Amino acid sequence: MSHSFPEQVLKHLFSFLTSDKDRNSLSLVCKLWYEVERRCRRSVFIGNCYAVSPEILIRRFPEIRSLNLKGKPHFADFNLVPEGWGAYVHPWVAAMSRSYPWLEEIKLKRMVVSDESLELISTSFEHFKVLVLLSCEGFTTDGLAAIASNCRNLRELDLGESEVEDLSSDWLSHFPDSCTSLVSLNISCLGSEISFSDLERLIARSPNLKTLRLSQAVPLEKIPDLLCCASQLVEFGTGAYSSEMRSDISSNLEEAFSGCERLEGLSGFWDVVPAYLPAVYPVCSRLISLNLSYATIQNPDLDKLISQCHNLQRLWVLDYIEDTGLQLVAASCKDLQELRVFPSDPFGPEPNVLLTEQGLVAVSDGCPKLQTVLYFCRQMTNAALVTIARNRPNMIRFRLCILEPRTPDYLTLEPLDAGFGAIVEQCKELRRLSLSGLLTDRVFEYIGTHAKKLEMLSVAFAGDSDLGLHHVLSGCESLRKLEIRDCPFGDEALLANAAKLETMRSLWMSSCSVSFGACKLLSQKMPRLNIEVIDEMGPPDERPESCPVNKLYIYRTVAGPRFDMPGYVRIMNEEAAP
Amino acid sequence: MEINNYVHVSLEFGEIEKAHKQFCQIDQLISGGPMAIVKPEMKSYIWLQTADGSIQQVEEEVAMFCPVICRELLQNGLGHSKNCAVLLPERVNPASLGLILDFCRFHQVPGRSNKERKTYDEKFVRLDTKMLCDLASAADSLQLRPVVDLTSRALARVIEGKTPEEIRETFHLPDDLTEEEKLEPLRNMTDDPRIRLLNRLYARKRKELNERKKLKNVEVEEEHRVDERSVDDLLSFINSGDQDSKGVRVTKNKKKSRGRKEQARNSSSNNEAGNYNKESNCLTSGCLNGDTSCGSSPSRNSKLQNSPSAMFSSKLDLDDFDIDDELDPARKEEIDREVEDFARRLNSVWPERIQQILSLGQERRRLGPISMNGNGSLKRCTAGVDRG
Repeated sequence: MSHSFPEQVLKHLFSFLTSDKDRNSLSLVCKLWYEVERRCRRSVFIGNCYAVSPEILIRRFPEIRSLNLKGKPHFADFNLVPEGWGAYVHPWVAAMSRSYPWLEEIKLKRMVVSDESLELISTSFEHFKVLVLLSCEGFTTDGLAAIASNCRNLRELDLGESEVEDLSSDWLSHFPDSCTSLVSLNISCLGSEISFSDLERLIARSPNLKTLRLSQAVPLEKIPDLLCCASQLVEFGTGAYSSEMRSDISSNLEEAFSGCERLEGLSGFWDVVPAYLPAVYPVCSRLISLNLSYATIQNPDLDKLISQCHNLQRLWVLDYIEDTGLQLVAASCKDLQELRVFPSDPFGPEPNVLLTEQGLVAVSDGCPKLQTVLYFCRQMTNAALVTIARNRPNMIRFRLCILEPRTPDYLTLEPLDAGFGAIVEQCKELRRLSLSGLLTDRVFEYIGTHAKKLEMLSVAFAGDSDLGLHHVLSGCESLRKLEIRDCPFGDEALLANAAKLETMRSLWMSSCSVSFGACKLLSQKMPRLNIEVIDEMGPPDERPESCPVNKLYIYRTVAGPRFDMPGYVRIMNEEAAP
Repeated sequence: MEINNYVHVSLEFGEIEKAHKQFCQIDQLISGGPMAIVKPEMKSYIWLQTADGSIQQVEEEVAMFCPVICRELLQNGLGHSKNCAVLLPERVNPASLGLILDFCRFHQVPGRSNKERKTYDEKFVRLDTKMLCDLASAADSLQLRPVVDLTSRALARVIEGKTPEEIRETFHLPDDLTEEEKLEPLRNMTDDPRIRLLNRLYARKRKELNERKKLKNVEVEEEHRVDERSVDDLLSFINSGDQDSKGVRVTKNKKKSRGRKEQARNSSSNNEAGNYNKESNCLTSGCLNGDTSCGSSPSRNSKLQNSPSAMFSSKLDLDDFDIDDELDPARKEEIDREVEDFARRLNSVWPERIQQILSLGQERRRLGPISMNGNGSLKRCTAGVDRG
């Protein structure tokens, strides 16, 4: 490419490269490409909102139309991140409202969103189209009302699994009659009543609606009416799937479902009454995605349903499916790519269902395209894991959650090192792994040696010593996120691999053995990391430096230490700042 | 007709309409319309000249496909003889011109199906990268939008999935971004004299070690690709009595681009987006009870340092190094003391520490349970379960 290659052609060429990875690569090629790329970048993904500031974003990318931002670390899902930790979206919204008048999309995950932010969004961006709030919190239906009223061209409103304070049921009525642009609406997280007439009218005037996920409050009886106005739906999430048994509901339902000829995905199914399940049989053979993770149905109803879904690619289900049901899945769903089995009774001392490692082995054997697994169970063997690894070397995400910590191989009573070792050795494209069961440093040695494409690792109650952590930090070249709890990892591995931390997005360590002194030292040596010591029991200064910190969250940043944290979060570099 | 896509590229030219009519007439001549008695020799030719001076003759109808040539022919009346050939823009070299004319020749023929045209286009861009670049550049200067599009898409496919280094290599581009620019301008944290002092001390110690090694003639290991400008040297500094050079490698003081040094805007793989659907991990609550395995040995430190995987290069961070700074002896002493203090603590016996951890652990509250339905956050948990 000669120096006279015209910039407008370069720009045009860049417009065909849209993945974040490619855009990032473009920007690092040379000065010219950096400049051209940054001026025409439309979409940005920021995996950690504290790694960069809104000002830096705006200064570098003047033409952003879409922002994807993540806040709290993943372990926030398990209440390990205390209330008030941070991840406020408002500074971002405020800054963008001044600089990005053309902004169209905001997608957030695990962030704190206020009604004020939602109002500001709704009034600042004339072309705003997409709002996705996954696992967010801090807002009420008033904020949603503002969005509904003011975003003239809203296409997507997805509330994910956010916590929304329900102040009024009529926020849906704020969508003006002229709003006909909706393509996707997910209100499944809302708890309280909504106005059915508003909902119905909204759906009826949204001919482009492809995804509709209702909240539990929408009763079964309403579904036929709704589906009749929206027979073009591709994804549908029911509300509560129960009612007093009335025969006409059943036939109405069945008719309504049959009418949705493009339906590919189903979800919802709270409080399922099995008698109504046959209503969805007509669409089963078309289904690609089925989310039954709230459905407390058991075999044989469950079996009957799933065995008809021959084209299923994604199945989320409770462990009521049991080994027998999974064997059926293995036989019927040959296109299955993703399986998630959730525990119906995780805290019960005894197993309430017959779900063992055999179920997973069966699916790994019968489903050649299986690449994503999340499996909760109570027992596992090395042999089973080895078999799974051999069956599915194409595995990409493997998350095994044996409910009781430190559970050994139940046949040999040995640690599960060899089993997970087989997984990382065979599955060369593995990008995400969650460990459980009894594990020694050995498993980390295997991981460090073989898991070269691993990007995210979750560890709990595992390992013997710092060597375990050291293996992972020094061996896993692609590691971006590491989250650890209750493991005997301390200062040495961390300090010895300090530079590695700058190549990762973040490291979370809670209930481990990292000392306060080591945190101090780390922060002095690594100015580009924020080292957050989170300790709800009080400031760590009052204890000796050798005392281990309760929770530690380390992430790289070019924005320096943040100043919006609560009292129980201490950012170590603060000492260094002038 | 499909030809419209290709002819009506530039709407400013009203003359295009005229040209189009001419095409239709020629088309009728060729395809045997009412005026088909005219022989093919009646086709007219024009002359084009590229920047290197060479002149080509080409059918008028073909050349007219190009807006820029079209304009020159019609507005400026050029090209009808060898002496007043249309002078093409500098970025059009003969090879590119040839390809462009082939393209025009193919597409200006009416009656081709969309499929035919598409197949041709796909074959058309099967060129090496350099040719694609030249062609894109030439087409842009001739305002031949379809070719610009085709070549741009083809180049994008070449680039897709490549690393910055690979892209640089492919296109022979300079590696002219500085380290700092690659990382984004940072807050200048190094104004604090304490940090500068600390850095200087580390640098001095490292230099000492280097010198000692040179004397011992130790082999220089190749530097790791990933920047592990780490605290390995810190550990050796702490265990300052330890002259063992096996655990530390000599470095080259060369600034190298760090592997994935990019800031937060880390590339998102698809699974990131996919992972937002509910997930939970097997993290049931449980206090740390007495059976925490603590298979530790006093030789842990050395174990770590001497293990093969602990051998990595360290890199001298010269960013903050300021030789001209005055050394405050009192300050230096303070820092020395701090470091020694820490070293002592770090080398303290493990069992003591474990006891501390255990006693803390038992006081620790029972951490909240995971989600009931496994669909993620406890926030959805009802049934009065302790949320810890």
